[in-house]
Amino acid sequence: MVRILPMRKVLFIGEEERAVIRALQGDIPICERPFQVIGERLGIPEERLISIVQRMKDSGIIRRFGATLRHQQVGYRANAMSAWRVPPGKVEEVGRILAALPQVTHCYEREVSVEWPYNIYAMIHCKDEKACEEIARRISRRTGINDYLLLFSSHENKKESMQYF
Amino acid sequence: MGNPKVDDIDRKILNIIQSDFPITSRPFKVVGERVGLSEQEVIQRVQAMRCSGVIRRIGGSFDSKKLGFWSTLCAAKVPPERVEEFNRVINHYPGVTHNYTRNHPYNIWFTFIGENRQEVERALEEISLRTGVREILSLPAKRTFKIRVNFEL
Repeated sequence: MVRILPMRKVLFIGEEERAVIRALQGDIPICERPFQVIGERLGIPEERLISIVQRMKDSGIIRRFGATLRHQQVGYRANAMSAWRVPPGKVEEVGRILAALPQVTHCYEREVSVEWPYNIYAMIHCKDEKACEEIARRISRRTGINDYLLLFSSHENKKESMQYF
Repeated sequence: MGNPKVDDIDRKILNIIQSDFPITSRPFKVVGERVGLSEQEVIQRVQAMRCSGVIRRIGGSFDSKKLGFWSTLCAAKVPPERVEEFNRVINHYPGVTHNYTRNHPYNIWFTFIGENRQEVERALEEISLRTGVREILSLPAKRTFKIRVNFEL
């Protein structure tokens, strides 16, 4: 599924919503009625909590609700960050091509600087490094962009969810 | 492929609870109805996958921009013998959420989320002063083409 996200604006977050965010940014209990358990802790009835969560999902404050996996353990052992130097007139086209690939999980246009000219970034997840390299070659052939980096991670130094409030 | 302890039913459960976790009173009952298991069986399987580490967490992923926060991707050129110290310093910041060593002279890549651009840039200057690492790039996103964090299993 390809989603081109529109410009987003900041939404007002009230005290009750902050409490809900604090409870959901970590790990919810795996039991029959998780929202009832969380609600009890927060002093919010289960039904009301469920409707707040649904509303935050609909408004996009919650981008996704559910399980986050350790992708290395489900067969996606290699992850590469690809960085592409794309001329301004081709950003839109290249961004869309990258976003359409199932192996690409994140794709952004980023600011450039004098010492760093790469402007399009795509995270590529594959079974192994060879497969990542092959995808990058295919992208390069298809887009005509030859100046790119394929940066493999050799070590995970930190991975946590942001604690917002 | 991957963890041999994850069978086909587990994969079905994971596909559902990654992207379509039911926001309802008894979510695991709903999942069970879709995969043909009882609520208790689903709960046991999900708990087992949480324990074995296949599932990192179950919860919400928030849109930091909509919450009013500012984020950037950073890359630092750190001499190999100082990587450990550099990581210790940056990982201490709660706004540093992801940090990977990558195969490039800019070898440490990390994300930084903060209340606003100024706060993040100040923190990066502080990091540079404290570690002596002068080359730290900050590459904030101008545009998002895709964010999809679930994996088709």
